[in-house]
Amino acid sequence: MHVLSLKSIPTNMSNEELIAKLKPIVANYAQDKEALEKIGPDTDFIKDLKINSANLVDVVLDVEEEFDIVIDNQSMEQMLNVQASIDIIESKLAAK
Amino acid sequence: MIGNDIVDLAQAEKDSNWKRAGYLEKLFTTEEQFLISSDIHQECMVWLLWTMKESAYKISSGRSKLREFAPVKLSCNNLIIYDNTATGNVTYNDQLYFTRSTIEKTYIHTIAAMSQEELDLIKIDIIETKDHQIRINNPNCVSHHGNYLALVYS
Repeated sequence: MHVLSLKSIPTNMSNEELIAKLKPIVANYAQDKEALEKIGPDTDFIKDLKINSANLVDVVLDVEEEFDIVIDNQSMEQMLNVQASIDIIESKLAAK
Repeated sequence: MIGNDIVDLAQAEKDSNWKRAGYLEKLFTTEEQFLISSDIHQECMVWLLWTMKESAYKISSGRSKLREFAPVKLSCNNLIIYDNTATGNVTYNDQLYFTRSTIEKTYIHTIAAMSQEELDLIKIDIIETKDHQIRINNPNCVSHHGNYLALVYS
């Protein structure tokens, strides 16, 4: 049986579109709001956005929900900045 | 090298919902999850184990400059809790770390070192302040969270 996901997301989203989707997620945990406004591929979650390390797992869980993907521990290891996260999201979307 | 990590329990309660589906599985090994689920103070055990991992990770990342978010690879072992102190080990990338923790009503603080001798020599200053920029006498490692600032010296 084929089930259509209500949250189905096109797999050909651009970097900018993915950053735009990622921004409200990290905004929930970012303590540096100025750095959040300037978010780009090189933005580091801990060093720039000052996200508490215990909240990094919330970012990962939120990303899983938003994009309807599963992020394994090996992928999660790299999710310390925007570009690495986008690369992981893209590869997981492509594998769906 | 030494490491330390402090968790302000009131701040943690505000910022983190550790009961969220998938949360504990992404942070803790099966054994650690068992320790948490079988403890009467589950929240305390969550943050005790977390500070153990963080304090060991700070030594490792300081030495190698390698960064990763791999909490399950930091494995807490040999945890012994007596009154308001706890001792244990953390293993990470084949390296063993020694930890000692203080469990207070309002915070949990853990120090880590690469040998028991080094651990025993650590001096701790815990200051109740929101000013996280305060530094006294060049601490070897600093941790701040919520209302607490922890400075440790080897």
